[in-house]
Amino acid sequence: MSKLPATHEAEIGCDECFEELHIFAEMELKGKSPGDAMPLLKEHLDNCGECRQEYEALLEGIKALGNEDA
Amino acid sequence: MVRFFKRRSKSYQTNDDWIRALEPPPDEAALDQLRSFLIRGLKASLYKNVDRGLDDFVKDIAQDALLKILDNYKSFRGDSKFTTWAMKVAVREGYTELRKKRYKDISLEEYSRYDPDEKDVIEIEHQQAQPDQQAHESILVQKVMDIMEEELTEKQKKVLQLLMIEQIPMTVVTDMMQSNRNAIYKLVHDARMRLKSKLEREGIDHEEVLNQM
Ligand SMILES: [Zn+2]
Repeated sequence: MSKLPATHEAEIGCDECFEELHIFAEMELKGKSPGDAMPLLKEHLDNCGECRQEYEALLEGIKALGNEDA
Repeated sequence: MVRFFKRRSKSYQTNDDWIRALEPPPDEAALDQLRSFLIRGLKASLYKNVDRGLDDFVKDIAQDALLKILDNYKSFRGDSKFTTWAMKVAVREGYTELRKKRYKDISLEEYSRYDPDEKDVIEIEHQQAQPDQQAHESILVQKVMDIMEEELTEKQKKVLQLLMIEQIPMTVVTDMMQSNRNAIYKLVHDARMRLKSKLEREGIDHEEVLNQM
């Protein structure tokens, strides 16, 4: 069976995660620890496979564009 | 060609440049630049997940994303580079399509035997369990099944079945239930919370049970 999200009380959903994901990604790429600044979002990424997959892909995409766009 | 692109890219450097260029009627040069930007980013984001036809797939996604961005750019709050935000929209578009497409490819024949009214909601697989462990588990499993039957709504049971037993991606389940991803995520979360509190009241080790889900 596939893993379902872990069970916690104060958790955000996929929409709230998506709302702020770009901020989280930029912090990550600048080497600031976004998990400390945005723990609920971090928790959602740990729990939600689809959001995590998109987040990792987003990092790849931004990294690939980084040089020209900096 | 590279020089040409670099020269053009100078004109939309700041977030304000982008926002101004996208105000209706949008600046064609800005759209072209954003499109090629998204295409290059999407290729890096998606190449691991697309075996064939990456270029065409990415072009389509970039175009769809561009329309989404034009519809929604006013919701961008300036809290990152505009291009990061735009890339985020494109990546979600890409993965949503990818998951639907892949599921369609895999399940064309499987799907025909899918029966939405099937009553037998919960099946549990035993993988490499010892016989006595199996006996212990099957009592536990029976108990948990009873609890699920009592505590969960029909919709929760349906969604859990699709996700866990039929292993259908959440994006696809969302479509099947004519819902949205956030709502399905919340529904599963609520189901788990209900099970957890009931299992606690019954004195069953919920960590062990819920970790298997
Ligand atoms: Zn999510």
